[in-house]
Amino acid sequence: MRGTKLPDHHVTDHTSDAELIARARAGDDLAFGVLVKRYEGAIAATVIGMLGRGDDADDVGQETFIRFHRSLHRFRGESSLKTYLVHIAMNLSINALKRRRRSLLRFVSRDEHDVDLPEPRVGPDGEVDAHELQQFVRAAVAQLGEKHRAVVVLRLFQDYSTKETAQILGVPDGTVLSRLSRAMKELEARLAPYVRHGSTLPESIL
Amino acid sequence: MIDEPTEESLAATIRAAAPAAFDAGFSDRVMTRLNVQREQAFTSALNRQFRLVVPLAAAAALILAAFNWWGARGTAASPFDAALNLPQVTLSSAYSVTSLYGVTVPTETP
Repeated sequence: MRGTKLPDHHVTDHTSDAELIARARAGDDLAFGVLVKRYEGAIAATVIGMLGRGDDADDVGQETFIRFHRSLHRFRGESSLKTYLVHIAMNLSINALKRRRRSLLRFVSRDEHDVDLPEPRVGPDGEVDAHELQQFVRAAVAQLGEKHRAVVVLRLFQDYSTKETAQILGVPDGTVLSRLSRAMKELEARLAPYVRHGSTLPESIL
Repeated sequence: MIDEPTEESLAATIRAAAPAAFDAGFSDRVMTRLNVQREQAFTSALNRQFRLVVPLAAAAALILAAFNWWGARGTAASPFDAALNLPQVTLSSAYSVTSLYGVTVPTETP
């Protein structure tokens, strides 16, 4: 079988996913590197959203792209590359959470796990530091149960539709909706003081 | 039930908190890991091949040794020499250049 001849020019940030994938399949590491940079943000939102920032998340993020590299020849483009990668990242994150839970159960009691979130400081003008608020929101999301967190990460961090979220998680649409509703109620209880008043939502983060 | 404006603000606040990137140098770390895994894959492929070849080579050596030993039956060669098909070395053959190199060298007679 004769291979498709790839256009003879260098890859750039504007090169299409399809061409980058074709080049990466042919062994072009530069093309694969461009794909990694292009989708790093989406994978970071998924993995850090699920596991929190740290070595674990970085490791799972790297593993996502390594798995993708291994399956380059199997990727047929039926879903978008972002969705394909997020799917891998979500599965790996859930596995990492299971491993983490097993080792936590061995060493830490359940009570030690439920810690109060350090609340963001509110200035005299009622403004909350944007960075502190982001940290607070991420910590609140991290305290959700694994299934609820996955829905919040996909629906809100990644802006996927209910249908897409359901497909990635392999659950019915209705389950996504009910999990999202419960997650939002939990988050509202924690974040409402900073959301209800317009002044507590700095424009810099919206 | 959360009222709609609050839910929208809440969703916006959560969206804004989405982590945007890993620590600096993430793509370099991915590429380094990829190269390490390729090297490991190459080494383990070599190991696999080696593990396949070693028993075959050992079996071939045994067969050859048995064949040599069988052919040397009835000679005075030791089993070791017979298995390796080593030539008989006597004192006179050791002194004979011809017998070693197959070349006739004229010898001076005193």
